[in-house]
Amino acid sequence: MLKNYLKVAFRNLWRHRIFSFINIMGLTVGLTAFFLIFMYVKFELSYDSFHPNADRIYRVVCDLKTPTETINADGPSWAIAPHIKNDFPEIESAIRYTNASLLVRKGDIKFQEDNTLFADSAFFHVFGFKLLKGNPATVLKDKFSIVLTETAAKKYFGKTNPIGQTVLLTDGNFPSTITGIMEDMPENSIVKADMLVSMTTLTEDFNKGIDDQWGNYGNRTYLLLKPGTSAKALQAKLPAFLEKRNGDEMKKFQMYPTLFLEPLRDVYLRSTRDGSKTGNITNVYIFSIVAVFILLIACFNFVNLTTARSTERAKEVGIRKVVGAGKFQLARQFIGESIILCLIAFILSVIFSALLLPLFNQLSGKIISHNIFSHPAYLLLLFLTSIAIGILAGIYPALVLSSFQPVTVLKGRFATGVKGILLRKGLVVTQFTISIALIIATIVVYNQMNFMRSQDLGFNKDQKLILDTHGDSSKTALMQKVSTLPGVLSTSMSGSVPGGGNPGAYSQVENTKGEMQIANLDLYFVDYDYIPQYKMKIIAGRAFSRDFGSDTTQAMIVNEAAMKMFGYTTPQQIIGKKFDQWGRKGMIIGVVKDFHFRSLQEVIKPLSLRIEPNGCSLITANVSPKNLPSTIASIENAWKTMIPNRPFSYYFLDEFFDKQYRSEDRFGRLFLNFAVLAIFISCLGLLGLASYSTMQRTKEIGVRKVMGASVSNIVNLLSKDFLRLVLISFVIAGPLAWYFMNKWLHGFAYRTNVSWWIFVAAGITALLIALLTVSFQAIKAAVANPVNSLRSE
Amino acid sequence: MIKISQLEKIYRTEEVETIALNKLNMEVNDGEFVAVMGPSGCGKSTLLNILGLLDDPDAGSFMFNNIEVAHFNERKRADLRKHNIGFVFQSFNLIDELTVFENVELPLIYTGVKSADRKKRVEAVLDKVQIMHRRNHYPQQLSGGQQQRVAVARAVVNNPKLILADEPTGNLDSSNGNEVMQLLTELNEQGTTIVMVTHSEHDARYSHRIIRMLDGQTVTQNILI
Ligand SMILES: Nc1ncnc2c1ncn2[C@@H]1O[C@H](COP(=O)(O)OP(=O)(O)OP(=O)(O)O)[C@@H](O)[C@H]1O
Ligand SMILES: [Mg+2]
Repeated sequence: MLKNYLKVAFRNLWRHRIFSFINIMGLTVGLTAFFLIFMYVKFELSYDSFHPNADRIYRVVCDLKTPTETINADGPSWAIAPHIKNDFPEIESAIRYTNASLLVRKGDIKFQEDNTLFADSAFFHVFGFKLLKGNPATVLKDKFSIVLTETAAKKYFGKTNPIGQTVLLTDGNFPSTITGIMEDMPENSIVKADMLVSMTTLTEDFNKGIDDQWGNYGNRTYLLLKPGTSAKALQAKLPAFLEKRNGDEMKKFQMYPTLFLEPLRDVYLRSTRDGSKTGNITNVYIFSIVAVFILLIACFNFVNLTTARSTERAKEVGIRKVVGAGKFQLARQFIGESIILCLIAFILSVIFSALLLPLFNQLSGKIISHNIFSHPAYLLLLFLTSIAIGILAGIYPALVLSSFQPVTVLKGRFATGVKGILLRKGLVVTQFTISIALIIATIVVYNQMNFMRSQDLGFNKDQKLILDTHGDSSKTALMQKVSTLPGVLSTSMSGSVPGGGNPGAYSQVENTKGEMQIANLDLYFVDYDYIPQYKMKIIAGRAFSRDFGSDTTQAMIVNEAAMKMFGYTTPQQIIGKKFDQWGRKGMIIGVVKDFHFRSLQEVIKPLSLRIEPNGCSLITANVSPKNLPSTIASIENAWKTMIPNRPFSYYFLDEFFDKQYRSEDRFGRLFLNFAVLAIFISCLGLLGLASYSTMQRTKEIGVRKVMGASVSNIVNLLSKDFLRLVLISFVIAGPLAWYFMNKWLHGFAYRTNVSWWIFVAAGITALLIALLTVSFQAIKAAVANPVNSLRSE
Repeated sequence: MIKISQLEKIYRTEEVETIALNKLNMEVNDGEFVAVMGPSGCGKSTLLNILGLLDDPDAGSFMFNNIEVAHFNERKRADLRKHNIGFVFQSFNLIDELTVFENVELPLIYTGVKSADRKKRVEAVLDKVQIMHRRNHYPQQLSGGQQQRVAVARAVVNNPKLILADEPTGNLDSSNGNEVMQLLTELNEQGTTIVMVTHSEHDARYSHRIIRMLDGQTVTQNILI
């Protein structure tokens, strides 16, 4: 019996090759897309779950309330971790780390280690990173101890054993000992580093006293709670702890922190405190929905094509029933056939996924998997999904087919019921609704990306080459040297450049009532040349000037946002008002027009700019586009003579700034790809249906042609129905896409509208593609010789 | 074998109500070869479908081997059918995706005959209808007469007690038609009961008895022997 079914199934597949191809192809593409997205989503969800204690690890974050604003910081003050453990026995460990970029030298080998962390000694106790060499309890205990990743260690030590060896740290030449080697940190970790340096290096040497600085921020703090501890209960006790330890200081500075505990595994996807640097649960949902949609579209194709062909199989059903087949036996046969198709698609999609994985990794910007075969559980799931689709998509056609009455079908006066046709139309409409919505979404995403790129940022980012001196003592000399080089048009030095980080400073500024209002102001350290070089606009007062000697210590420029924050309505009003910031006191001398120093996802924050040579480390060189390579070569030469200890490195500001949109870029590109896939599968289905209905009407077309119908008459006749379906889909997809894309755009502080032309463009695209697909079949039928089509009946 | 009384079949469509069988009475005995004749649309095929348990009557009684089957549900009818009745149609109705051998084998599969047994029995009937040499061909590769011989083979492979034939020679030329009639006669001589619908007086002469129908009723019954 089974053999008979299989035989019929395969012969059927073969006899209707085109249909089989369309069916299997649609399903394969759908399964492949589904599988890749599934792996991506799984990967995003897997962040930080590899730590054995992941469920007990919490990140301590902090809302810092000043009289002016509330700042959502991603870490508490430096004093929290050292003190919190004493007060709460339920805390097993409390650790801090902070990012740094350190110069490391061993003989002639030198690297600027940009991914360095200063980390407390219990780092390896709290986190599950694997130490390959060294004792986890002690590797980060003593000051000037270093743990390197395997890859980093190779750079300095090759095949020799690094343990116990010494390297020189920073340009202060601090001898430091390699105490441990760890495995490279996994991709799905929010903690990432190539090198760890013991925190004691900071607390006992570079930055003594920081352990007790309750008002100093800028580290990440993690707690490992004892088993069975409720994080919620602990969090509720933290305000009292802060009050007891630090209450007086809080009142004095009017800075009131509130601490929160975030489960480690929520940090990557659910925390909003890291900007766009981490993942985003919304995107994960969006991709999951897209994956399910694509799978649905593929399933609908399947159901559609199979039921459309049911008339053809009606005779077989009739005969089988006459010779003794029961309804159940027939249903089983047809579901079996559907499962066979799905299994073929499964095998093909495994092959496709394996082949496409490298491309997909590239597209998503990270290695979500090296090899699909290393996830047998995922493959099993794909297999089960395929079977499930086979059964689900097979049930309806099977029921339709197996319920045919032999008396009716064998008589040959069989016609598909209106119900079947309605269902098919419904499915086509759903497919195109999804496809059109995806097209609209893609256009909106690209439109927004384009908007962010072309938006006037309030400063000039062109032809700016940035050199990071890391505060080297020869930085000023280097800048002077660079400014004399041919091809360098101007130079300046600052602590920050747009798109990069900058400190936030505890500040007091005289407000409209004449009080010194406390606020946390973003701070740019700059020099005299910075503002003109970046073509920032001074809208009131003046820029820093060498003509005023006091500018180096007593002058501040603020942006419009800061001016508004202190209550002023026109920039003129704030000129001459007093400020007190990080030990400097003086007057506000100018207001700079708001410029985007962060990505356009964020509102422009209140910013202050001050002259502070000690805080500057980034040299900006405006370079002429002519002879760029030789200009860069001469800059490198200057670097090598002035600061030979550091490896030369530079970047261009425009690229650097646009890097902030990397994740949006990827999102857009992934979206585009899947929208194309959805359209492709939908069109495969449409092609199948169109060719089927054309086939069914071959005789009608023949008769009409004999009666004098033209080719365009016939194409029109055949295409009209399908195009109407696409139009209906458009009417449904439009409002849906409008609603959801508006929501998406609300994630951007500066955004485009979802304007009408996007809908028109998407509608026309879908219509054209559908028209092409359908008319391809229709034209073929229309130009055929009617004699042939009449004879074939 | 068959005893029908007051059988009614009414087709209702939106506009009209067609009485296809109107209080029809009829009997067929074991081993008989009966021809049913009448003008087009008088209800011959309808009758045959009911006799073959493919369709159910709206009223009346249908005794098959002394069992009342008029009220049987689909499953029971299918069960009775597959063990007792073979069909031959005007348009052959072979499955295009199956070979000659597989087509004939089909009824045996559904009645659960073992594979080795099946092969023997299929080969035997194919021999009988002289189509053995074509056993691996597909229906489209055969002539109409050959296809109908395969259909006859399929109808008898299960050794049914009753064969129902609806214009079995309707699509065949006279020589092919005679061959098929010959086959049916042989089967009848071996004990199979046959009810055949035909428009051809020539074919009807192969039978023992002709039932003439008009407007859903039997009119006369000519005994030919
Ligand atoms: N499914 C149906 N729906 C409506 N009317 C039907 C249906 N099937 C048959 N009829 C009607 O019932 C009557 C009997 O039909 P039937 O097919 O039995 O005729 P027939 O004697 O076999 O004719 P022919 O010699 O042309 O095959 C006809 O009037 C036909 O129109
Ligand atoms: Mg008839």
